[in-house]
Amino acid sequence: MKINAPRHLALLSLSIALAFPALAATIPPGVQLHPTQTLIRNNASEPESLDPAVAETVGANNITRDLFEGLTANDAAGKIIPGLAESWRQTNATTWVFKMRQNAKWSNGDPVTAQDVVYGIRRFVDPKTASKYATVYGVFLLNGKEAATGKKPTSDVGVKALDKFTVEIKTPFPVSFLPQLLSNNNLGPVHQASVEKFGKDWTKPGNLVSNGAFTLKEWQVNSRIVLEKNPHYWDAANVQLTRVTYLPVDDEKADVKLFEAGQNEWVYQLPPGTYEELKKKYPNDVRNAPMLAARYYDFQTKSPAFKDVRVRKALSMVIDRDILAQKITADGQSPIYGLVVKGMEGADMTEYDWARWPMAKKVEEAKKLLAEAGVKPGTKYTFSYNTSEYHKKMAIFAQSEWKTKLGINVELEAMEFKVLVKKRHDGEFQLARDGFVADYNDVTNFLALVRCDSDQNNTFHCNRKAEELIVQAEQSDDSGKRKQLLTQAMKMILDDYPLIPLLQYSLPRLVKSYVGGYSLENAQDRYRSKDLYIIKH
Amino acid sequence: MWSYTLRRLLATIPTLLAVITACYILVHAAPGGPFDSDRNVSEAVLANLQAKYHLDLPPWQQYLHYLNSLLHGDLGASFRYADWSVNDLVAAALPVSLTIGGLSILISFIVGVGLGITAALRQNSLADYGVMLIGNLGSVFPSFVIGPVLVLVFALWLHWLPAGGWDDFKPAFMVLPIALLTFINVATIARVMRGSLLEVLHSNFIRTARAKGLPTRLVVMRHALKPALLPVISVMSPLAISSITAALVTETVFSLPGIGKLIVNGAGNRDYTLVLGLVVLITVLAVTLNLLVDLAYAALDPKIRYH
Repeated sequence: MKINAPRHLALLSLSIALAFPALAATIPPGVQLHPTQTLIRNNASEPESLDPAVAETVGANNITRDLFEGLTANDAAGKIIPGLAESWRQTNATTWVFKMRQNAKWSNGDPVTAQDVVYGIRRFVDPKTASKYATVYGVFLLNGKEAATGKKPTSDVGVKALDKFTVEIKTPFPVSFLPQLLSNNNLGPVHQASVEKFGKDWTKPGNLVSNGAFTLKEWQVNSRIVLEKNPHYWDAANVQLTRVTYLPVDDEKADVKLFEAGQNEWVYQLPPGTYEELKKKYPNDVRNAPMLAARYYDFQTKSPAFKDVRVRKALSMVIDRDILAQKITADGQSPIYGLVVKGMEGADMTEYDWARWPMAKKVEEAKKLLAEAGVKPGTKYTFSYNTSEYHKKMAIFAQSEWKTKLGINVELEAMEFKVLVKKRHDGEFQLARDGFVADYNDVTNFLALVRCDSDQNNTFHCNRKAEELIVQAEQSDDSGKRKQLLTQAMKMILDDYPLIPLLQYSLPRLVKSYVGGYSLENAQDRYRSKDLYIIKH
Repeated sequence: MWSYTLRRLLATIPTLLAVITACYILVHAAPGGPFDSDRNVSEAVLANLQAKYHLDLPPWQQYLHYLNSLLHGDLGASFRYADWSVNDLVAAALPVSLTIGGLSILISFIVGVGLGITAALRQNSLADYGVMLIGNLGSVFPSFVIGPVLVLVFALWLHWLPAGGWDDFKPAFMVLPIALLTFINVATIARVMRGSLLEVLHSNFIRTARAKGLPTRLVVMRHALKPALLPVISVMSPLAISSITAALVTETVFSLPGIGKLIVNGAGNRDYTLVLGLVVLITVLAVTLNLLVDLAYAALDPKIRYH
């Protein structure tokens, strides 16, 4: 195929092809492997599905990431590396060509071909599959959104097999992070013959044909999922673990007890308030990595209480993020004053000019803003959050900050998670807890939270000028210009204070010290069992 | 007796229908739906999902569709566990709950009745105070306190038993959950048995039996035990239902894949079909157990039998 790429794109393609690091789990010199390479890791919930097209939660994706492999993947540190594709290049601003490795096989021995990828992607956006991510990722594929909404057939989606091992993907606008996006298994291949043969039971043990480093051996709902090494996997020689058992233990205390009893080697998340204590007790096992994720509070900007930006700004200014991080949550999270968290690509981190002011000055300014807006001490607002000890602690702290510093009374309203998300979606709240974990490492993922007309925008705020900048950035194939436009757009939106950024998530957990390959740089918390190994102990 | 049993079984049909209808209305009326999640789904995707689960039909059609499936033994597809049908989920969880709950209720009955009799016969003795202490402790300490203590002692300190989990009915994994449920149930049964036997022992017909010179053992075994068991039998049905289907704390503390957890997860996730399926199951179980209790009553009390 003739390649007609702009010069800078051609250079980019070349650099991608040359910059790939070693693919397999790197075992440091001197480390001796344990004779038994098995791992029990808690996943905190029962997966909603093992169908990669339907998988939605972090838990389900953890397992499908072991079972399946897309054109790209991520390494132990979260960096994008080749998966099924050996290399890729951008032939023009909206066209990518992925050259697949020819030795990749399904767990039944069938070769993995370009047609499998095409089938997987078309099936993912097919309304019949009803994937919740169909439109989230579909918008980045030519005709993807139209196919997901039933306006065009899935055969019109911009993905096709150029030959048995070459896939071409077209995007509706330049999507510089497409390789990043394709590491999500929703956009990966599935084995058409077994899907068609077994119908809805195709993901059951004995039926599931996978192309990742592991195969499905056993699935006992709410008890365990056991994976075994896939001997047909193209890189099987570098996969150390022979068996991985995923537990669905959702109770954090029970999780720690199982760890202490030696029945679990990976505590998904520590119970609130136990980080310091467990760090002292198990200094070699506690691992805490920052994530591409943010905790924040939404304003319902259409409600009369928060129509005025000065009120929103005042409330944001007086929450002491340092105390919140160090004393209240006290589990290694970092304060944030914007939505571009550390490690996020596609825009520069920005923060409010008042972020480094002394608190007294912030309070003084906040009081002035409230007075200008006509908000008197004693004014009442309602804060909604879903019942959880963690959220409650944070909410009580914020409530106390607003009361003691501004004299504002905030009533806390706890509710079921489903009720909260419904209220947020319908705008039936004044202030609400919110949070977001990145699906892919690009700022557009977070911008969806504050963009006009976005399904993910719970604040109902819209800055048309910023929106124009985002659209301009989306059409640009110059990464520098794009970054500058998106940084500017994000800053403009945040200066309207639709939300209160509070903390960048970190994930404190216990992982046995003999589990190797666990990197603290994996900011998307995507630990493929392929990259893990058991050190002699 | 057979016609009585049959009548009772037939009477369950309207009960079941009423429960299903009420529950159907309630779960659908609860705020938030099965597809509400942190990440809002677009209108188009929501329409796809609703079509997949027949939620795009008018409510009465959905209801009739559900009843029709139910008549065919199909509890529907789970919303939360997309790869499984409710039948699959119930089939996997019920044996676990029946084993843990059933065994614990059986052991509780034997131990509780034994302790109750001992306490009643030696009223105000050390044995009586001991039984009452167990009874009070079991009532005062909630299972979410006793459970972790059992784990701490027997799993983490003594290393005798696993801290939780489930492994194909291996007895080691059942001991602590059964012990927890038994402890709580024994407390209730022993207290009821003690009180009931004491009352019976003070009645006229027992005084007559004693006056005839019958030894205490015979008086208790032949005359007092049967009527004294009636109140115990009455509490057995709700205890059994809660031990089998609502042992949420036990299932959470010991990470068991049972029915209690499914119900709570189902309700929290607005998994309509799962909640309704489990309600059907629990209703059938409750009706069956109540029937068994009534039959046991008839067996124990001739007055009921002759009516």
